[in-house]
Amino acid sequence: MILVGELAGLPPGESVRVQGEVAIAVFNVDGELYAIDDTCSHQDASLSDGWLEGCAVECPLHAACFDLRTGQPSGPPAKKPVRTHAVSIEDGVIYVHESTRVTVGGAVAEEVG
Amino acid sequence: MTTGELPTAQEQAGDLPESLRETLAGHYYTDPEIFRLEQEHIFEAGWFCAVLSADLAKPGQFETIQVGRESVLVTRGRDGAIKAFLNVCRHRGARLCTEEKGEVRRSFQCPYHAWTYSFDGALIAAPNLGAMEDIDRTQYGLHDVHIREWLGYVWLCLAEEPPSFEDTVVGDVNARLGTPDAIVGYQVADLKLGRRIEYDVKANWKQIVENFMECYHCATIHPELTEVLPEFADGLAAQYFVGHGAEFGEDVQGFTVDGSAGVEKLPGVSEEQDRRYYAITVRPQVFINLVPDHVVFHRMFPLTAERTLVRCDWLYLPDVVDSGADIDRSVELFHRVNQQDFDACERCQLAMDSRAYADGGVLVPSEHHISEFHDWVRERIG
Repeated sequence: MILVGELAGLPPGESVRVQGEVAIAVFNVDGELYAIDDTCSHQDASLSDGWLEGCAVECPLHAACFDLRTGQPSGPPAKKPVRTHAVSIEDGVIYVHESTRVTVGGAVAEEVG
Repeated sequence: MTTGELPTAQEQAGDLPESLRETLAGHYYTDPEIFRLEQEHIFEAGWFCAVLSADLAKPGQFETIQVGRESVLVTRGRDGAIKAFLNVCRHRGARLCTEEKGEVRRSFQCPYHAWTYSFDGALIAAPNLGAMEDIDRTQYGLHDVHIREWLGYVWLCLAEEPPSFEDTVVGDVNARLGTPDAIVGYQVADLKLGRRIEYDVKANWKQIVENFMECYHCATIHPELTEVLPEFADGLAAQYFVGHGAEFGEDVQGFTVDGSAGVEKLPGVSEEQDRRYYAITVRPQVFINLVPDHVVFHRMFPLTAERTLVRCDWLYLPDVVDSGADIDRSVELFHRVNQQDFDACERCQLAMDSRAYADGGVLVPSEHHISEFHDWVRERIG
Protein backbone atom coordinates (compact mmCIF):
# COMPACT_ATOMS: atom_id res chain seq x y z
CA MET A 1 0.00 0.00 0.00
CA ILE A 2 1.47 3.34 -1.06
CA LEU A 3 0.58 6.57 0.70
CA VAL A 4 -0.36 9.20 -1.90
CA GLY A 5 -1.42 12.10 0.31
CA GLU A 6 -4.45 14.05 1.49
CA LEU A 7 -7.46 13.89 -0.80
CA ALA A 8 -7.74 17.67 -0.42
CA GLY A 9 -4.30 17.96 -2.04
CA LEU A 10 -5.48 16.33 -5.28
CA PRO A 11 -8.42 18.36 -6.59
CA PRO A 12 -10.44 17.32 -9.68
CA GLY A 13 -8.44 17.62 -12.90
CA GLU A 14 -5.11 17.16 -11.10
CA SER A 15 -2.62 14.32 -11.05
CA VAL A 16 0.30 13.26 -8.91
CA ARG A 17 3.17 10.85 -9.33
CA VAL A 18 4.14 8.45 -6.55
CA GLN A 19 6.86 5.85 -6.34
CA GLY A 20 5.89 2.20 -5.97
CA GLU A 21 7.93 -0.60 -7.42
CA VAL A 22 7.74 1.63 -10.47
CA ALA A 23 6.37 5.18 -10.78
CA ILE A 24 2.57 5.39 -10.55
CA ALA A 25 0.31 8.26 -11.67
CA VAL A 26 -2.83 9.03 -9.65
CA PHE A 27 -5.60 11.13 -11.21
CA ASN A 28 -8.70 12.83 -9.84
CA VAL A 29 -11.39 12.81 -12.53
CA ASP A 30 -14.34 14.79 -11.15
CA GLY A 31 -13.90 13.21 -7.72
CA GLU A 32 -13.24 9.68 -9.00
CA LEU A 33 -9.65 8.51 -8.37
CA TYR A 34 -7.62 6.36 -10.81
CA ALA A 35 -4.07 5.05 -10.74
CA ILE A 36 -2.02 3.71 -13.64
CA ASP A 37 1.66 3.15 -14.34
CA ASP A 38 3.17 6.58 -14.81
CA THR A 39 5.42 5.67 -17.70
CA CYS A 40 3.90 5.73 -21.18
CA SER A 41 4.17 2.34 -22.89
CA HIS A 42 5.29 4.04 -26.13
CA GLN A 43 8.32 6.00 -24.91
CA ASP A 44 9.56 6.87 -21.43
CA ALA A 45 7.45 9.89 -20.48
CA SER A 46 5.48 10.69 -17.35
CA LEU A 47 1.71 10.35 -17.82
CA SER A 48 1.14 12.35 -14.62
CA ASP A 49 2.42 15.31 -16.69
CA GLY A 50 -0.13 14.51 -19.38
CA TRP A 51 -3.55 15.98 -20.17
CA LEU A 52 -6.78 14.66 -18.71
CA GLU A 53 -9.64 14.33 -21.19
CA GLY A 54 -12.63 12.75 -19.49
CA CYS A 55 -11.55 9.31 -18.33
CA ALA A 56 -8.40 9.26 -20.46
CA VAL A 57 -4.95 10.73 -20.15
CA GLU A 58 -2.98 12.01 -23.12
CA CYS A 59 0.79 11.54 -22.95
CA PRO A 60 2.59 14.90 -23.05
CA LEU A 61 5.19 13.63 -25.51
CA HIS A 62 3.42 12.01 -28.45
CA ALA A 63 -0.26 12.33 -27.49
CA ALA A 64 -0.81 8.60 -26.92
CA CYS A 65 -4.05 8.17 -24.93
CA PHE A 66 -4.85 5.65 -22.20
CA ASP A 67 -8.18 4.79 -20.64
CA LEU A 68 -7.70 5.32 -16.91
CA ARG A 69 -10.25 2.61 -16.07
CA THR A 70 -8.56 -0.18 -18.05
CA GLY A 71 -5.07 1.05 -18.89
CA GLN A 72 -5.76 0.23 -22.54
CA PRO A 73 -4.36 2.56 -25.19
CA SER A 74 -7.22 4.55 -26.71
CA GLY A 75 -5.14 6.60 -29.14
CA PRO A 76 -1.89 6.08 -31.09
CA PRO A 77 1.06 5.76 -31.08
CA ALA A 78 0.93 3.54 -27.95
CA LYS A 79 -0.01 -0.09 -28.65
CA LYS A 80 0.60 -1.73 -25.28
CA PRO A 81 -1.51 -1.10 -22.17
CA VAL A 82 -0.27 0.28 -18.89
CA ARG A 83 -1.18 -1.38 -15.58
CA THR A 84 -4.02 -0.05 -13.48
CA HIS A 85 -3.92 0.01 -9.70
CA ALA A 86 -6.59 0.04 -7.02
CA VAL A 87 -7.08 3.27 -5.08
CA SER A 88 -8.62 3.63 -1.62
CA ILE A 89 -9.38 6.55 0.65
CA GLU A 90 -9.13 6.24 4.42
CA ASP A 91 -9.84 9.22 6.67
CA GLY A 92 -9.33 11.63 3.80
CA VAL A 93 -5.99 10.10 2.81
CA ILE A 94 -5.37 8.44 -0.57
CA TYR A 95 -3.61 5.07 -0.88
CA VAL A 96 -2.64 3.10 -3.99
CA HIS A 97 -2.49 -0.70 -3.98
CA GLU A 98 0.08 -1.58 -6.57
CA SER A 99 -0.70 -4.46 -8.93
CA THR A 100 1.89 -7.20 -8.86
CA ARG A 101 3.96 -7.98 -11.90
CA VAL A 102 4.45 -11.62 -12.87
CA THR A 103 6.91 -12.44 -15.58
CA VAL A 104 5.90 -15.41 -17.67
CA GLY A 105 8.24 -16.49 -20.42
CA GLY A 106 9.63 -12.99 -20.83
CA ALA A 107 6.21 -11.34 -21.11
CA VAL A 108 4.74 -9.30 -18.29
CA ALA A 109 1.41 -10.52 -16.97
CA GLU A 110 -0.62 -8.71 -14.35
CA GLU A 111 -2.90 -9.41 -11.48
CA VAL A 112 -4.47 -6.98 -9.12
CA GLY A 113 -2.87 -7.15 -5.69
CA MET B 1 36.70 71.90 -58.75
CA THR B 2 36.33 71.20 -62.43
CA THR B 3 33.34 69.47 -63.89
CA GLY B 4 33.39 65.71 -63.46
CA GLU B 5 35.55 65.66 -60.34
CA LEU B 6 34.09 64.40 -57.14
CA PRO B 7 34.66 66.45 -54.01
CA THR B 8 37.12 64.86 -51.62
CA ALA B 9 36.08 63.83 -48.16
CA GLN B 10 38.05 66.76 -46.79
CA GLU B 11 36.19 69.25 -48.90
CA GLN B 12 32.85 67.82 -47.81
CA ALA B 13 33.75 67.73 -44.15
CA GLY B 14 34.50 71.41 -44.37
CA ASP B 15 32.10 73.98 -43.01
CA LEU B 16 28.60 73.44 -44.28
CA PRO B 17 26.40 76.46 -44.83
CA GLU B 18 24.14 77.01 -41.84
CA SER B 19 21.15 75.66 -43.71
CA LEU B 20 22.71 72.23 -44.09
CA ARG B 21 23.70 69.46 -41.75
CA GLU B 22 25.43 66.16 -42.41
CA THR B 23 23.63 62.86 -42.75
CA LEU B 24 25.10 59.52 -41.81
CA ALA B 25 27.61 58.17 -44.33
CA GLY B 26 26.30 55.74 -46.94
CA HIS B 27 27.82 52.61 -45.42
CA TYR B 28 25.67 53.03 -42.30
CA TYR B 29 22.83 51.72 -44.44
CA THR B 30 24.55 48.69 -45.97
CA ASP B 31 27.39 47.53 -43.73
CA PRO B 32 26.48 44.17 -42.10
CA GLU B 33 28.83 44.96 -39.20
CA ILE B 34 26.97 48.20 -38.42
CA PHE B 35 23.68 46.33 -38.68
CA ARG B 36 25.02 43.74 -36.23
CA LEU B 37 25.91 46.51 -33.78
CA GLU B 38 22.43 47.96 -34.18
CA GLN B 39 20.88 44.55 -33.53
CA GLU B 40 22.90 44.16 -30.36
CA HIS B 41 22.84 47.69 -28.97
CA ILE B 42 19.49 48.97 -30.22
CA PHE B 43 16.99 46.20 -30.99
CA GLU B 44 18.14 43.73 -28.31
CA ALA B 45 18.84 46.43 -25.74
CA GLY B 46 15.62 48.46 -25.65
CA TRP B 47 11.89 47.89 -25.89
CA PHE B 48 10.69 46.41 -29.19
CA CYS B 49 7.03 46.46 -30.25
CA ALA B 50 6.29 42.90 -31.33
CA VAL B 51 2.66 41.77 -31.43
CA LEU B 52 -0.87 43.18 -31.43
CA SER B 53 -2.19 41.72 -28.17
CA ALA B 54 -5.58 40.92 -29.72
CA ASP B 55 -3.85 38.69 -32.29
CA LEU B 56 -3.11 36.33 -29.41
CA ALA B 57 -6.70 35.97 -28.31
CA LYS B 58 -6.52 32.50 -26.73
CA PRO B 59 -4.02 30.48 -24.69
CA GLY B 60 -1.65 28.68 -27.05
CA GLN B 61 -1.90 31.17 -29.90
CA PHE B 62 1.60 32.32 -30.74
CA GLU B 63 3.75 34.48 -33.00
CA THR B 64 7.47 34.26 -33.58
CA ILE B 65 9.25 37.58 -33.93
CA GLN B 66 12.76 38.44 -35.03
CA VAL B 67 14.24 40.88 -32.48
CA GLY B 68 17.82 41.75 -33.33
CA ARG B 69 19.62 38.44 -33.78
CA GLU B 70 17.10 36.45 -31.74
CA SER B 71 13.86 34.71 -32.60
CA VAL B 72 11.30 35.28 -29.84
CA LEU B 73 8.21 33.14 -29.21
CA VAL B 74 5.27 35.19 -27.91
CA THR B 75 2.17 33.41 -26.63
CA ARG B 76 -0.71 33.64 -24.20
CA GLY B 77 -0.65 31.43 -21.10
CA ARG B 78 -3.57 29.50 -19.63
CA ASP B 79 -3.88 32.26 -17.03
CA GLY B 80 -4.52 34.74 -19.87
CA ALA B 81 -1.22 36.57 -19.47
CA ILE B 82 1.13 37.16 -22.40
CA LYS B 83 4.51 35.38 -22.16
CA ALA B 84 7.59 35.58 -24.33
CA PHE B 85 10.62 33.29 -24.61
CA LEU B 86 13.72 32.87 -26.70
CA ASN B 87 12.60 30.45 -29.41
CA VAL B 88 15.35 27.94 -28.65
CA CYS B 89 15.00 24.42 -27.25
CA ARG B 90 17.08 24.03 -24.09
CA HIS B 91 18.18 20.53 -25.16
CA ARG B 92 20.21 20.91 -28.35
CA GLY B 93 19.21 24.38 -29.49
CA ALA B 94 16.72 23.57 -32.22
CA ARG B 95 14.36 26.40 -33.11
CA LEU B 96 11.22 25.47 -31.22
CA CYS B 97 8.60 27.10 -33.49
CA THR B 98 9.41 27.69 -37.12
CA GLU B 99 5.99 29.06 -38.07
CA GLU B 100 5.44 32.83 -37.99
CA LYS B 101 2.15 32.36 -36.21
CA GLY B 102 -0.20 29.61 -35.17
CA GLU B 103 -1.93 27.90 -32.30
CA VAL B 104 -0.91 24.89 -30.25
CA ARG B 105 -3.35 22.85 -28.24
CA ARG B 106 -1.32 21.53 -25.33
CA SER B 107 2.26 22.64 -25.34
CA PHE B 108 5.25 23.75 -27.38
CA GLN B 109 7.15 20.68 -28.44
CA CYS B 110 10.55 20.62 -30.09
CA PRO B 111 10.19 18.67 -33.35
CA TYR B 112 13.68 17.19 -32.89
CA HIS B 113 13.65 15.19 -29.60
CA ALA B 114 10.19 16.18 -28.31
CA TRP B 115 11.28 18.25 -25.34
CA THR B 116 7.94 19.71 -24.37
CA TYR B 117 7.22 23.07 -22.74
CA SER B 118 4.08 24.57 -21.22
CA PHE B 119 2.66 27.93 -22.35
CA ASP B 120 4.56 29.54 -19.50
CA GLY B 121 7.84 28.06 -20.68
CA ALA B 122 8.29 25.28 -18.10
CA LEU B 123 9.75 21.97 -19.26
CA ILE B 124 6.89 19.54 -18.74
CA ALA B 125 8.12 16.44 -20.49
CA ALA B 126 11.02 14.95 -22.37
CA PRO B 127 11.72 11.38 -23.44
CA ASN B 128 13.35 9.37 -20.63
CA LEU B 129 13.21 12.34 -18.28
CA GLY B 130 11.86 10.05 -15.55
CA ALA B 131 14.99 7.91 -15.76
CA MET B 132 17.26 10.93 -15.27
CA GLU B 133 16.46 11.55 -11.65
CA ASP B 134 19.29 14.01 -11.13
CA ILE B 135 17.73 16.53 -13.55
CA ASP B 136 15.90 19.44 -11.97
CA ARG B 137 13.45 20.19 -14.75
CA THR B 138 12.75 23.68 -13.40
CA GLN B 139 16.28 24.55 -14.52
CA TYR B 140 15.48 23.67 -18.14
CA GLY B 141 12.53 25.89 -18.96
CA LEU B 142 12.63 28.29 -21.90
CA HIS B 143 14.51 31.55 -21.43
CA ASP B 144 12.10 34.33 -20.44
CA VAL B 145 11.93 37.64 -22.27
CA HIS B 146 10.63 40.77 -20.54
CA ILE B 147 7.25 41.96 -21.76
CA ARG B 148 5.03 45.01 -21.35
CA GLU B 149 1.62 45.66 -22.86
CA TRP B 150 0.84 49.20 -23.91
CA LEU B 151 -1.51 50.72 -26.51
CA GLY B 152 -2.83 47.21 -27.14
CA TYR B 153 0.57 45.91 -28.25
CA VAL B 154 3.11 43.55 -26.70
CA TRP B 155 6.52 45.17 -26.28
CA LEU B 156 9.54 42.94 -25.63
CA CYS B 157 12.93 43.61 -24.14
CA LEU B 158 15.78 41.14 -24.49
CA ALA B 159 18.08 42.99 -22.10
CA GLU B 160 18.62 41.40 -18.71
CA GLU B 161 17.91 44.77 -17.11
CA PRO B 162 15.43 46.57 -19.38
CA PRO B 163 15.59 50.35 -19.61
CA SER B 164 12.64 52.21 -18.12
CA PHE B 165 9.61 51.70 -20.38
CA GLU B 166 8.23 55.05 -19.19
CA ASP B 167 11.42 56.95 -20.02
CA THR B 168 11.94 55.40 -23.45
CA VAL B 169 8.71 54.26 -25.15
CA VAL B 170 6.21 56.42 -23.28
CA GLY B 171 8.81 59.20 -23.20
CA ASP B 172 9.06 59.28 -27.01
CA VAL B 173 5.28 59.61 -27.31
CA ASN B 174 5.07 62.33 -24.68
CA ALA B 175 8.00 64.25 -26.13
CA ARG B 176 6.29 64.39 -29.52
CA LEU B 177 2.79 65.20 -28.30
CA GLY B 178 4.02 67.54 -25.56
CA THR B 179 1.93 65.97 -22.79
CA PRO B 180 1.20 62.47 -21.49
CA ASP B 181 -2.53 63.19 -21.69
CA ALA B 182 -2.64 63.77 -25.43
CA ILE B 183 -2.68 60.12 -26.54
CA VAL B 184 -5.11 58.97 -23.81
CA GLY B 185 -8.24 60.15 -25.59
CA TYR B 186 -7.52 57.97 -28.62
CA GLN B 187 -7.89 54.89 -26.35
CA VAL B 188 -5.59 53.00 -28.68
CA ALA B 189 -5.69 49.80 -26.60
CA ASP B 190 -9.48 49.62 -26.98
CA LEU B 191 -9.47 49.94 -30.76
CA LYS B 192 -9.85 46.99 -33.11
CA LEU B 193 -7.87 45.96 -36.15
CA GLY B 194 -9.72 46.99 -39.29
CA ARG B 195 -7.00 46.23 -41.84
CA ARG B 196 -3.37 45.11 -41.86
CA ILE B 197 -0.99 45.48 -44.78
CA GLU B 198 2.58 44.18 -44.78
CA TYR B 199 5.36 45.76 -46.80
CA ASP B 200 8.62 43.97 -47.53
CA VAL B 201 10.90 46.96 -48.00
CA LYS B 202 14.33 46.59 -49.58
CA ALA B 203 15.85 49.35 -47.51
CA ASN B 204 17.70 49.81 -44.26
CA TRP B 205 15.40 50.49 -41.29
CA LYS B 206 16.97 53.93 -40.74
CA GLN B 207 15.86 55.06 -44.21
CA ILE B 208 12.30 54.35 -43.14
CA VAL B 209 12.64 56.19 -39.81
CA GLU B 210 14.24 59.23 -41.45
CA ASN B 211 11.59 59.33 -44.14
CA PHE B 212 8.84 59.19 -41.57
CA MET B 213 10.37 62.04 -39.59
CA GLU B 214 10.40 64.62 -42.36
CA CYS B 215 7.90 66.08 -44.79
CA TYR B 216 10.22 67.86 -47.19
CA HIS B 217 9.21 65.11 -49.63
CA CYS B 218 5.47 65.35 -49.01
CA ALA B 219 4.44 67.76 -51.75
CA THR B 220 6.50 65.77 -54.28
CA ILE B 221 5.55 62.17 -53.57
CA HIS B 222 2.34 62.37 -51.49
CA PRO B 223 -0.26 64.23 -53.59
CA GLU B 224 -3.23 62.67 -51.78
CA LEU B 225 -1.82 63.33 -48.30
CA THR B 226 -0.93 66.91 -49.14
CA GLU B 227 -4.44 67.43 -50.46
CA VAL B 228 -5.82 66.41 -47.05
CA LEU B 229 -3.13 68.22 -45.04
CA PRO B 230 -2.30 71.32 -47.10
CA GLU B 231 0.34 72.58 -44.65
CA PHE B 232 2.49 69.57 -45.62
CA ALA B 233 3.24 71.43 -48.86
CA ASP B 234 5.43 73.71 -46.73
CA GLY B 235 7.63 70.71 -46.04
CA LEU B 236 7.36 70.79 -42.26
CA ALA B 237 6.33 67.46 -40.79
CA ALA B 238 4.08 67.25 -37.76
CA GLN B 239 7.19 65.74 -36.15
CA TYR B 240 9.12 68.98 -36.69
CA PHE B 241 7.14 70.47 -33.83
CA VAL B 242 6.16 69.46 -30.31
CA GLY B 243 2.46 68.93 -29.78
CA HIS B 244 1.55 70.01 -33.28
CA GLY B 245 -1.16 68.33 -35.28
CA ALA B 246 -1.33 69.08 -39.00
CA GLU B 247 -4.71 70.59 -39.77
CA PHE B 248 -7.11 69.12 -42.33
CA GLY B 249 -7.80 71.30 -45.38
CA GLU B 250 -10.94 73.43 -45.26
CA ASP B 251 -12.90 71.30 -47.69
CA VAL B 252 -11.64 68.05 -46.25
CA GLN B 253 -14.23 66.01 -44.36
CA GLY B 254 -12.08 63.11 -43.21
CA PHE B 255 -8.66 61.47 -43.33
CA THR B 256 -9.44 59.52 -46.50
CA VAL B 257 -7.85 59.16 -49.91
CA ASP B 258 -10.29 61.64 -51.46
CA GLY B 259 -10.99 63.78 -48.41
CA SER B 260 -14.47 62.33 -48.05
CA ALA B 261 -15.97 61.70 -44.64
CA GLY B 262 -14.37 59.06 -42.44
CA VAL B 263 -16.09 56.77 -39.96
CA GLU B 264 -17.33 57.33 -36.39
CA LYS B 265 -15.03 59.61 -34.43
CA LEU B 266 -13.14 58.28 -31.41
CA PRO B 267 -15.14 59.66 -28.48
CA GLY B 268 -12.11 60.74 -26.42
CA VAL B 269 -10.59 62.94 -29.13
CA SER B 270 -10.63 66.53 -27.86
CA GLU B 271 -11.81 69.60 -29.70
CA GLU B 272 -8.20 70.75 -30.25
CA GLN B 273 -7.29 67.31 -31.65
CA ASP B 274 -10.27 67.14 -33.99
CA ARG B 275 -9.54 67.60 -37.71
CA ARG B 276 -5.83 67.16 -37.07
CA TYR B 277 -3.16 64.58 -37.82
CA TYR B 278 -0.45 63.72 -35.28
CA ALA B 279 2.59 61.57 -36.03
CA ILE B 280 4.93 59.96 -33.53
CA THR B 281 8.13 57.97 -33.93
CA VAL B 282 8.84 55.61 -31.06
CA ARG B 283 12.47 54.71 -31.53
CA PRO B 284 13.62 52.46 -32.95
CA GLN B 285 10.80 50.76 -34.86
CA VAL B 286 7.30 52.17 -34.30
CA PHE B 287 5.34 54.94 -36.01
CA ILE B 288 1.97 56.00 -34.68
CA ASN B 289 -0.42 58.23 -36.63
CA LEU B 290 -3.42 59.68 -34.83
CA VAL B 291 -6.45 61.07 -36.67
CA PRO B 292 -9.92 61.70 -35.25
CA ASP B 293 -11.53 58.45 -36.39
CA HIS B 294 -8.64 55.96 -36.48
CA VAL B 295 -5.05 55.18 -35.60
CA VAL B 296 -2.43 53.91 -38.05
CA PHE B 297 0.19 51.87 -36.20
CA HIS B 298 3.41 50.77 -37.96
CA ARG B 299 5.78 48.16 -36.60
CA MET B 300 9.11 47.69 -38.36
CA PHE B 301 11.02 44.42 -38.27
CA PRO B 302 14.58 44.98 -39.50
CA LEU B 303 15.67 41.68 -41.07
CA THR B 304 19.00 42.55 -42.69
CA ALA B 305 20.98 45.72 -43.32
CA GLU B 306 19.05 46.16 -46.55
CA ARG B 307 15.66 44.62 -45.83
CA THR B 308 12.91 45.66 -43.41
CA LEU B 309 9.45 44.19 -42.96
CA VAL B 310 6.79 46.75 -42.06
CA ARG B 311 3.43 45.72 -40.59
CA CYS B 312 0.89 48.50 -40.73
CA ASP B 313 -2.33 48.24 -38.71
CA TRP B 314 -5.40 50.43 -39.22
CA LEU B 315 -7.30 50.56 -35.91
CA TYR B 316 -10.91 51.74 -35.47
CA LEU B 317 -13.64 51.68 -32.86
CA PRO B 318 -14.74 48.04 -32.42
CA ASP B 319 -18.29 48.97 -33.46
CA VAL B 320 -17.01 50.40 -36.72
CA VAL B 321 -15.11 47.21 -37.58
CA ASP B 322 -17.89 44.88 -36.41
CA SER B 323 -20.54 46.77 -38.37
CA GLY B 324 -18.62 46.21 -41.60
CA ALA B 325 -18.44 49.96 -42.23
CA ASP B 326 -16.55 50.97 -45.37
CA ILE B 327 -12.96 51.73 -44.31
CA ASP B 328 -11.47 51.34 -47.79
CA ARG B 329 -11.01 55.05 -48.42
CA SER B 330 -9.36 55.70 -45.08
CA VAL B 331 -7.05 52.68 -45.47
CA GLU B 332 -6.22 53.67 -49.03
CA LEU B 333 -4.86 57.07 -48.01
CA PHE B 334 -2.09 55.81 -45.76
CA HIS B 335 -1.54 52.69 -47.88
CA ARG B 336 -0.64 55.00 -50.76
CA VAL B 337 1.55 57.08 -48.45
CA ASN B 338 3.31 53.89 -47.35
CA GLN B 339 3.90 52.74 -50.92
CA GLN B 340 5.16 56.16 -51.92
CA ASP B 341 7.46 56.34 -48.90
CA PHE B 342 8.85 52.82 -49.24
CA ASP B 343 9.51 53.34 -52.96
CA ALA B 344 11.52 56.41 -52.00
CA CYS B 345 13.41 54.50 -49.31
CA GLU B 346 14.29 51.74 -51.79
CA ARG B 347 15.42 54.38 -54.28
CA CYS B 348 17.83 55.80 -51.69
CA GLN B 349 19.01 52.37 -50.62
CA LEU B 350 20.25 51.69 -54.16
CA ALA B 351 22.77 54.50 -53.87
CA MET B 352 24.09 53.94 -50.38
CA ASP B 353 27.24 52.16 -51.57
CA SER B 354 27.92 54.67 -54.36
CA ARG B 355 31.13 56.64 -53.99
CA ALA B 356 28.93 59.70 -54.54
CA TYR B 357 27.34 59.02 -51.16
CA ALA B 358 30.38 57.62 -49.32
CA ASP B 359 30.38 60.68 -47.03
CA GLY B 360 26.62 60.95 -46.96
CA GLY B 361 24.40 63.82 -48.02
CA VAL B 362 22.86 66.85 -46.34
CA LEU B 363 19.80 67.72 -44.31
CA VAL B 364 17.92 70.93 -45.10
CA PRO B 365 16.41 72.95 -42.21
CA SER B 366 13.06 71.14 -42.30
CA GLU B 367 15.06 67.91 -41.82
CA HIS B 368 17.51 69.09 -39.17
CA HIS B 369 15.66 67.22 -36.41
CA ILE B 370 16.74 63.97 -38.09
CA SER B 371 20.24 64.71 -36.71
CA GLU B 372 18.91 63.89 -33.26
CA PHE B 373 18.00 60.43 -34.52
CA HIS B 374 21.46 60.01 -36.05
CA ASP B 375 23.03 61.03 -32.74
CA TRP B 376 20.77 58.58 -30.96
CA VAL B 377 21.96 55.75 -33.23
CA ARG B 378 25.64 56.70 -32.98
CA GLU B 379 25.51 56.97 -29.19
CA ARG B 380 24.34 53.38 -29.05
CA ILE B 381 26.55 51.65 -31.58
CA GLY B 382 29.70 53.63 -30.73
